Amino acid sequence: MILGHKAFFLFLAITLLVYHLLLRGRTAKYTFLLLASWVFYALCSPYYLWVIWLLTGIDYIVGLKIEAASDERTRKRWLVFSIVSNLGLLVAFKYTIFVFDSATALAGLFTEVPPRAWDILLPLGISFHTFQGISYTVDVYRRQIPAVKSKLDYALFVSFFPQMAAGPIVRAVEFLPQMLNPPVPSSVQIQEGLYLFARGLFKKLVIADQLDQLFVSAVFADPSAYSAVACRWAVLAWAVQIYCDFSGYSDIAVGVAKWFGFELPINFHLPYLATSITEFWRRWHLSLSCWLRDYLYYPLGGSRGSVWRVNFNLMLVFVLCGLWHGATWAWLVYGVYNGVLMCLHRAMHERLKGIAWADRLRASDAWAVIAWGATFSQLLLGLILVRMTGWANGGAMLEGMLGLGEGTRMVPGTVPLLVGLGLIGHVWGLARERMPQVAIRWEPMRVANAAACLAAVAIFSPGVAKTFIYIQF
Amino acid sequence: MVRRHLRRWRGPLRVLLALVLFDLAVRATAGIWEHHSPDDYAARVEGCARQQREVVFVGGSTVSEGIVPSELRGLNWNGDSFRDLYAVGLPGGTTSEFLHAIKRACPQPPKVLVYGITASDLNDNRHEPHGPASLMTFGDVFDWAVARPDSRSWVIRQYLQARLSRASAIWRYRHGIRMAAAMQFEDTFPGSCPESAAEARDLVRYADALADGDGYAPSSGFVERRYDHVKEVNAELAPFRFLDRYRTGSHRLYLKRIIRWAKDHNVELVLVDMPVTADLERQYPEAFVEYRRVLAEEEAEHGLTVIRAHRDLVGLTEAGFADTIHLNGVGAKVLSRWLKIKLEEHSRPGTVDDERIRAQAGGNRP
Repeated sequence: MILGHKAFFLFLAITLLVYHLLLRGRTAKYTFLLLASWVFYALCSPYYLWVIWLLTGIDYIVGLKIEAASDERTRKRWLVFSIVSNLGLLVAFKYTIFVFDSATALAGLFTEVPPRAWDILLPLGISFHTFQGISYTVDVYRRQIPAVKSKLDYALFVSFFPQMAAGPIVRAVEFLPQMLNPPVPSSVQIQEGLYLFARGLFKKLVIADQLDQLFVSAVFADPSAYSAVACRWAVLAWAVQIYCDFSGYSDIAVGVAKWFGFELPINFHLPYLATSITEFWRRWHLSLSCWLRDYLYYPLGGSRGSVWRVNFNLMLVFVLCGLWHGATWAWLVYGVYNGVLMCLHRAMHERLKGIAWADRLRASDAWAVIAWGATFSQLLLGLILVRMTGWANGGAMLEGMLGLGEGTRMVPGTVPLLVGLGLIGHVWGLARERMPQVAIRWEPMRVANAAACLAAVAIFSPGVAKTFIYIQF
Repeated sequence: MVRRHLRRWRGPLRVLLALVLFDLAVRATAGIWEHHSPDDYAARVEGCARQQREVVFVGGSTVSEGIVPSELRGLNWNGDSFRDLYAVGLPGGTTSEFLHAIKRACPQPPKVLVYGITASDLNDNRHEPHGPASLMTFGDVFDWAVARPDSRSWVIRQYLQARLSRASAIWRYRHGIRMAAAMQFEDTFPGSCPESAAEARDLVRYADALADGDGYAPSSGFVERRYDHVKEVNAELAPFRFLDRYRTGSHRLYLKRIIRWAKDHNVELVLVDMPVTADLERQYPEAFVEYRRVLAEEEAEHGLTVIRAHRDLVGLTEAGFADTIHLNGVGAKVLSRWLKIKLEEHSRPGTVDDERIRAQAGGNRP
């Protein structure tokens, strides 16, 4: 069962009805919500309920121990124990195969190695809830928040089902204060939740899944059969697909949380409007970017220190960011690619900062357009890395895009339409940024928009919803 | 209190109202969407029920693809010449669907009911969800649930799902809307979605054939295709899933009900054992042995008229089939002509000359 499946709608309706209508009191409501979240987890990842139980238990106890400890060494030991437990399980589940395959490939150069005959299923949302657990124990260690006394509260913070599978990565400081009393969703939350839910379903089922089914998968499977124009459109369509898939999930998660009265952080802010790679990572998967900044980049020294040290910090953060997404060499290279771009952008910024003509130029609209074009091209190139089925395939796609291929197959007319629909939010967002006078929240239009999204989902969604891309991370 | 609740829920209520208005608009234009994605079971049954028919053919896809009523027009039955014939061929149907189809399609019973039966009609290993969705009433479902406990939950679920989906016109006509949109889009921007538009055009043709004709609305892919040519390209025989794990019993109950219905309404019932390829019989030998045993038992028990339209008797070679079980356009004409003569022979007891009939029908020549 995943968000967007019929079973999920039934599960959600029952959970909402029981939570709001049948239960009274904090303990009853939160216990039910926790059980419902575990049921959700068990339905999605039936073998691994113990993983979330184990890590919840460890981090809950570690939080209390850190708070109770008087000397720094003990506090640090408990923190290390929490981080090792979380990352240990994450590495064991996610990276064992990658390490094994890489080692056997290396050994295969010298001797014959039998192919791997085993596999490891990834527990649901392990990349997300381990980061939540680490952020909690680190925050307690830094004395930014007190340790949670209630097992129920902590378990629900980790397992709250709307965001458990693929984020946003919620921090204790954002979520736990909302749990003081079971929040009653306001009329605005109910309304906004519905708009987000409808928009998320539309992005996922109508745009992302259709693009994949109609075009993206076919082109990436055999780029050499397609013309240069088709290959370029395929990369653009893939960019829209991954955005709509992930931001669609986030919209659904944030919308559903609102129906329980909780506010989750937003995860996207018009990422494809970024005019630099630095800005892109401030707009894309915000909860991960902020997590990496606060719990990795800053502790490493952040932007302080020598140029080499800062660049090293950036590279390390982005290599790990790439590996967080997926345990493959392609993701590792994606991380390196982004790290290099970040370092180059930073170097350029430092070089030009304070030069009058350069500052004037960089503040102009023309520069913004050029910078946007350059940034977007860099992003598209990077996205080939994460979608290609192999290195040769990626090379064929690049050849195809440059017009060096011999393919002739063209772009179905529905693809530009879907790409346009996927980017319409960006256009609207840009218009609102540039012309605040058009930023009127005209309610009938929002109602019509939500209704149209839901109707389009009913009519145009493929029969079987595909798994969200980020759930696989 | 009510006002407070209304204010609190005004967002979802407004969206719901907008959806209801949209749904009503879709419902008001249902004809367009049905035309782009017809419910063929309902369309055939309604087409047949539109007027009294003299001869009704019923059966699965072997009938929808293999019986051409216009070829049987003028059928001479005990001195009467029948001109009003209709084929209720329900692709994928089982004997259970055919009983419900007969009851709905023949409010005024025909003079002759020809059931083109084949092995897959009686396979209890399969059920056709289209039946509960388009043909059955609540009474039929109740009756099924009592008589066939093995598939009780299945039939109730299918029936309720179909009824629920009809609550929303958007959901019910979603495929038709998609097809209409594809056609429109392709017309406006040629080359934009050619495959979907081709499917939509096929469905429109199918809907037109169902609405205007005598029930003969073959799938476009079957009319021209020749099994002998298919075999030349694909050496490996594709499985015919409708005969997998063959067992009889539950659907047979509905065959008995068809026989009883015909008796109760004073209708001449003729069973035609539809022709299939030798490959299919070789592929599922046990299924055909079981099926023919059941057919012989029913024939003996009820004194039925069973015409065995074996391919060799009809004069059908592999060139007359589209695949292992369905006839193509030429094969359908040959079978229909053969059947016309055969039915006439059966209506007046005498010597049946199979050689002559085959020659008259044009067999062995496609």
